[in-house]
Amino acid sequence: MTEPIAPVFAPGDLVRTRLADPPHHTRLPRYARGAVGTIVEMHGRYPLPDNRARRVPAEPEPVYTVRFAAKDLFGEGSHMVTVDLWHSYLQPAQPGAASKEPS
Amino acid sequence: MSGDHSGPQASLAAQVRHLESLLEQRGLLDAESLDRDLAAYLTRASPDNGARVVARAWLDNGFRDRLLADANAALPELGLSMGGGLQEQRLKVVANSGQEHNVIVCTLCSCYPIALLGPSPTWYKSEAYRSRVVRDPRAVLSEFGYDLPSEVTIHVWDASAESRYMVLPARPGGTDDLDEQSLAALVTRNGLIGVAPV
Amino acid sequence: MSRINDVGGLQGFAAIEQEQDEPAFHSDWEAHVFAINRALLGRGVYNLDEFRDAIERMPPREYLAASYYEKWFRAITTLLGEKGVLTKEELHLD
Repeated sequence: MTEPIAPVFAPGDLVRTRLADPPHHTRLPRYARGAVGTIVEMHGRYPLPDNRARRVPAEPEPVYTVRFAAKDLFGEGSHMVTVDLWHSYLQPAQPGAASKEPS
Repeated sequence: MSGDHSGPQASLAAQVRHLESLLEQRGLLDAESLDRDLAAYLTRASPDNGARVVARAWLDNGFRDRLLADANAALPELGLSMGGGLQEQRLKVVANSGQEHNVIVCTLCSCYPIALLGPSPTWYKSEAYRSRVVRDPRAVLSEFGYDLPSEVTIHVWDASAESRYMVLPARPGGTDDLDEQSLAALVTRNGLIGVAPV
Repeated sequence: MSRINDVGGLQGFAAIEQEQDEPAFHSDWEAHVFAINRALLGRGVYNLDEFRDAIERMPPREYLAASYYEKWFRAITTLLGEKGVLTKEELHLD
């Protein structure tokens, strides 16, 4: 049995979502691509749906609740949006990073 | 096709019946248990369950804390659970306060705590709601007749993975004398989704 | 490619319509689609991610025009055809 992927991110960490526009099923909404958010919590381990949908083997990986400021997603708005995102959708971000990568 | 009473809907009903009989022939479906299982599932699940959870949380701070920390573990205290589906899903309950208001959506499809609350309303599954509430939740709430003060921060929870969300509304004022049942009667499905104050 | 189901933040959708005291299912066929899906998922004919994927692969015009349980029905028949459980002729698909 392969080792479970250890959670890399802790609550409060800054993360950036991937920018890729995949040709298959995914659960990273388009509005949240390439955006910087904050980890709220890790709430379980589940196989990546991108792979499950294509019957590709998928080991459980951490899934995080990530909070974004509406301004960082849409350029406006005073509300917050949280999205539940698989580890594979995330990479670390530096404080002060640009809120959204150009698409 | 003549007659407007038939048309697409009648056609769909016929197509579904046709599919059912094919699947029964293949041994993939058992028509008798189908209706029975469906009725049992739906009887267990309803917004009344959510209302009971909310009323208990309003009256019992310990329960409220346990609910917010691990809702799946707290539900059995009321004889409730997120089981009954194909897989027990994690329930996350998010609490409204004077400063923060929560609202739930699944922008990608329609994820909703069906096992506890029963099927979601049609509007929750609509492209109109799913597209607009992440972008302008204040305007959406206003359309539902709920105008939030500007100093309240709105949190929109997009149920994009395996967790299902429910809002714990703030207890309305002037309800100190109400018992648990009467408190539960105040709670609406819209309040549990977050498009109403309670 | 971004799919038609990924509507968060998209503009142009109309006002949200509420139906007071709406039933869980508006017709018997909707309830049966719900139950059929549960049965097929339970038997492992397909998994939930494949099911969502099949809905998302509907042509955009059809996706937007279809009612919620009609989307489910289309996805179920797509998967049953693709997995060879039922033939196109049996499903009356073109």
